[in-house]
Amino acid sequence: MIKNIALVFSLVFMMGCSSSDDSGAGGGGATDDFDRSALLTNLADNIIIPSYQDFGPKLTTLKGSIESFVATPNQSTLQTARRHWLIAYKAWQHVEMFNIGKAEALNEYHFFMNIYPVTISDIETGVSTGNYDLNTPNYHDAQGFPALDYLLYGVADDDAGIVAKFSSDANAQGYKDYLTDVINQMDNLTQQVITDWTTGYRDQFVNSSKNTATSSLNKFVNDFIFYYEKGLRANKIGIPAGVFSTTPLADKVEGYYNGEVSKELALEALNAVQDVFNGKAFSGSATGASFKTYLEYLKVDRNGQNLSAIINAQFNEARTKIQELNSNFSQQIITDNTKMTVAYDALQRAVVYLKVDMVQAFNISVDYVDADGD
Amino acid sequence: MRKILLGIAITSALFTSCSSDDDSIDQNPQVEAPLTYKFIRDGKSTVDFNGQTTRIKMAMEFRSALKDNTKSATDLHGMFAHVEGDNDFSDADLNASGKNIRSKVAASKDYFSANTTVSNQIKSLMDSWVEEQATTVFTNWETMATSGTAGQLQQVGGGTVRYVNGKGLELDQAIAKTLIGGLIADQMLNHYLSTSVLDEASNIQNNNNGIVEEGKSYTTMEHKWDEAYGYLYGNEVDPSVPVLGADSFLNTYLKQVDSDPDFAGTASAVYDALKLGRAAIVAKNYEVRDAQVAIIRENISKVPAVRAVYYLQAGKAKMATGDMASALHALSEAYGFINSLQFTREPDSSSPYFTHEEVTVFMDTLMEGQGLWGVTPETLDDMSETIAAKFGFTVAEAAN
Repeated sequence: MIKNIALVFSLVFMMGCSSSDDSGAGGGGATDDFDRSALLTNLADNIIIPSYQDFGPKLTTLKGSIESFVATPNQSTLQTARRHWLIAYKAWQHVEMFNIGKAEALNEYHFFMNIYPVTISDIETGVSTGNYDLNTPNYHDAQGFPALDYLLYGVADDDAGIVAKFSSDANAQGYKDYLTDVINQMDNLTQQVITDWTTGYRDQFVNSSKNTATSSLNKFVNDFIFYYEKGLRANKIGIPAGVFSTTPLADKVEGYYNGEVSKELALEALNAVQDVFNGKAFSGSATGASFKTYLEYLKVDRNGQNLSAIINAQFNEARTKIQELNSNFSQQIITDNTKMTVAYDALQRAVVYLKVDMVQAFNISVDYVDADGD
Repeated sequence: MRKILLGIAITSALFTSCSSDDDSIDQNPQVEAPLTYKFIRDGKSTVDFNGQTTRIKMAMEFRSALKDNTKSATDLHGMFAHVEGDNDFSDADLNASGKNIRSKVAASKDYFSANTTVSNQIKSLMDSWVEEQATTVFTNWETMATSGTAGQLQQVGGGTVRYVNGKGLELDQAIAKTLIGGLIADQMLNHYLSTSVLDEASNIQNNNNGIVEEGKSYTTMEHKWDEAYGYLYGNEVDPSVPVLGADSFLNTYLKQVDSDPDFAGTASAVYDALKLGRAAIVAKNYEVRDAQVAIIRENISKVPAVRAVYYLQAGKAKMATGDMASALHALSEAYGFINSLQFTREPDSSSPYFTHEEVTVFMDTLMEGQGLWGVTPETLDDMSETIAAKFGFTVAEAAN
């Protein structure tokens, strides 16, 4: 008798209450009066579009110097192409996180720009057979900056050997074609993304200021945190340091064949992340509405300290730890991987602040979950 | 008739209290735990923790192999850090599994996601024990152990033969007892029962709306909770009605602690809290859920603490009688349990009872000079007192 009542009691309780709390965390409409549109405007006009307008011409310059190298392969044209590769690669670090609008619509623009490590066998088979399609997912890891890294630095043991691959090698034409196709693909996609931003998407982005799963700010916040976790923290540091594997994987660093810029690229990416967080203009030092000012508007504190200050302090700590690393992360991993994991840990500490505290304050849902567990 | 009327009365009372205020759901204490750990949705069980069962079984085989001197360091390491498809175990299902033990050691989200450097240190220390067991202890299997020399030593009265390294440490004990904290308690207390995992992404929303994982009968939050449950009871014949003593890890040592009258009730407190917390998830009552998490953290944390003190005292007593084999065995168990203390969790806090640094000091103290061969009764008493005091029990309560 008593047991039965308890059963009815608990059943009714469950049913009665199931509909009463479906708001959950985020996605349910804005709950504050912060001017989200001003934030989006600052992002678009002072950071995103200027970053692309910096990157686009640098990539076009690289395209020109690769064309010169292909036309006249020698030590001099190789050096010029390499120099422009690094300049463009650094500028790329400022736009990789903007996986929104056309970038997203192109089946993930960044998949065609910076997936590493490259699969050499795909490139070499493509070179020797002429049989490849850079538009298919199979070739995500055989194009973009990492493929250029391999072709300009790693395709032979020394510079003379690399020049020979593009001049006297039996497959010289195949190498030239592959290299040309890679840079053309990068340039073509990039121009599409830039054109979209400057001919309409900017207004759409700025005006989508509501709080829904598909509105600009919600998507942008997710993209930003995802990039920080995956593109920066995991790809540049965590994966090569062995955080996600049994042993460190020193050959998985960015710019592996160049062999001396993985730190420079990582620092550039961290600067880009922090500048977006603070709403700092790409050109100049002016700052505007940003995640930082939004958090300050909401007066989000942790242990008596402003959350935005805590996040900035954590970015700064991560920068200090990265600066202590060898300019070539591969070398750092081999000599003392502990320093790599210390840098990773410093980066990771900001993840919780961004992914839990910040998104809760903004009332935004995180739309992805760590791929981990049983 | 009375039954129905009473039911209706309760029903309407509940409806009123629920619907009048969205927040009241969290304040309503009425969550009923089922008699056993069984939960059903649309006629199907929603409980699944096969990944945990797999890891416990791997750990069982690994533990046995650590005492098999025909194994090589490579064999042992293969069992510790199994790779899918490798023939590391006698059980084909384990060999086919993509899971392994090592990757989940010191790997909880709360303690180690931003602490991979310490996580690596803990794992590397275990690697070094595995290596040393094969290269130093197995090779001296028939040698009489003395201070500075690895080998064997028999307990008095024709007792068990113990195999120790030059410091008198039974490495297999150090490893097995470290796994109780480093694998099992850490994953339970600081990962699956943490709000950072239970409430990650849209888990609350999905649980509130009964949205199950694709192709599964459970919500993500329900499943996370079950994975915590599985680390404790996953090797039971019927895990929904645990009898304890079902593995060589937390399950068995919870039983041992519970069988000490000073700690009677520890096991049922954990089981009841796991049941009620899971029922609270079904009822979407996260306050009740989190109250159970605190109970589980407190009681599970007690296990390595009570056993550490128990074995420190047992080691001291055996040493006094001159039974060095028994003494070294007890102290080796203590050494592993002490290492496990860094994975405990003070309820309603984000910290263990003893930090990695504090635990390292304890362990270094035990390994100083001649190691366990030369440890003094004073050292063992001091350490026992420090641990017991922190957890709020007495050395005498743990030692008897």
